[in-house]
Amino acid sequence: MHLDEERLQRLLHRELSAPLEGAAREHVAACDECRRRLEDATREEANVHALLRAVDTPPPVVSAGAVASRAELPSRASRRGSSWLRRAAALVAVVGIAGVAYALPGSPVRRWVHDVVQRVGGRPGVPGEPSTRGGGAANVSGIAVSPGQSLTIIFARDAAQGVGNGGEIRVSLTSGADVQVRAPGGAATFTTKGDFILIGVRDPSAEFDVRIPRSAPWVEIVQGDDRVFLKEGVRITTSGARGLVRGYVLPLAPTTSPPRRPGP
Amino acid sequence: MDPERTPSFREQFALLFDAHFPSLYRYLNRASGDPELAADVAQETFVKLYQRGSVPDTPGAWLISVAMNLFRNAASTRSRRLRLMTPARGESVLADPPPAPDQALESDDSRKRVRLALDGMPERDRSLLLLRAEGYSYREIALALELNETSVGVFLARARRAFREIYEESSDAS
Ligand SMILES: [Zn+2]
Repeated sequence: MHLDEERLQRLLHRELSAPLEGAAREHVAACDECRRRLEDATREEANVHALLRAVDTPPPVVSAGAVASRAELPSRASRRGSSWLRRAAALVAVVGIAGVAYALPGSPVRRWVHDVVQRVGGRPGVPGEPSTRGGGAANVSGIAVSPGQSLTIIFARDAAQGVGNGGEIRVSLTSGADVQVRAPGGAATFTTKGDFILIGVRDPSAEFDVRIPRSAPWVEIVQGDDRVFLKEGVRITTSGARGLVRGYVLPLAPTTSPPRRPGP
Repeated sequence: MDPERTPSFREQFALLFDAHFPSLYRYLNRASGDPELAADVAQETFVKLYQRGSVPDTPGAWLISVAMNLFRNAASTRSRRLRLMTPARGESVLADPPPAPDQALESDDSRKRVRLALDGMPERDRSLLLLRAEGYSYREIALALELNETSVGVFLARARRAFREIYEESSDAS
């Protein structure tokens, strides 16, 4: 008796138990018709799989650590915090003070920043550093997010921060649609929640590239308690210097927030 | 808190992530033709796994089921487009010299036809074909798609045929 379709497919896909596979192989060795069917199925599958590659695009290089950071955002705070953040946003609109959501004592955002940089990043060599697979294209990592009505970019010291200094944040305005922050692979963790991007800085000597769409209505950059850059419509206010070629250059000086207490 | 417990799940999570993220992304991208949506859903799936706090019995089937659910809901629940990305890769793609016109047309044509064929297949056949292409086992496929495991081989053969028929029709038409 010839192999039925199910058995043939299972032979092709190595889905038969050892004795059944042995018997099937014996039959195929002796039966021209089943051998031809198996060869046809093998060829057909290889062809189809090769065709499928035509629609592939390179996967985003995302680390397990970055995804874990997102997963660790306090879900209670974010659920309750959404109304809190709305109130804060309303306050911003009325009083014109920026960064209220971040700067207010007891802000859930502050707690979030603290949690992410302390717990998730708090282990040097944590599994899930930006992957180096994929032809070495992972030497840059970053995040892109649509700017929405307002966006706060927070640079904070990651607990796994190494030694060094002299890092810079280079800000430029673009015609693109997304706010993008890029850094050398492994220099930082990237996390986002609502209207916030959190950069957990691990390499204080790294250069960070921040690109802000000209069309973004309101974007600020915060380090520690200081707002170092603000784009409000077309108006830019910054403590940084004009870049040589374009944009602005800010010294990188991430601090923990709230300040880390020395251990006992 | 037990300091040993958290790292061990984290390590397992990292291993699962490395083992499954690229193929989950590829699957979602092939199924949707929307790389950004695929990236969002693939990441969100692993967020769910992390929040689960333990490794499922059949991680492959679990991930694909969660991803498929998220995928179906994605359009309605997405409020903000968000993705982690590799600018280096995107830039290098842009920086590559453009392919010769013939070559570009040919690969563009092939991409369109594969896309059409995938879009034209019944959803179940498409899922079967694409999951198998990622090396999922019959058991995982049966669990994820709620199929009778004993017939997965026959279903797979049918799905392949469905794809080829639509693909070849589009070739005859052009
Ligand atoms: Zn036979």
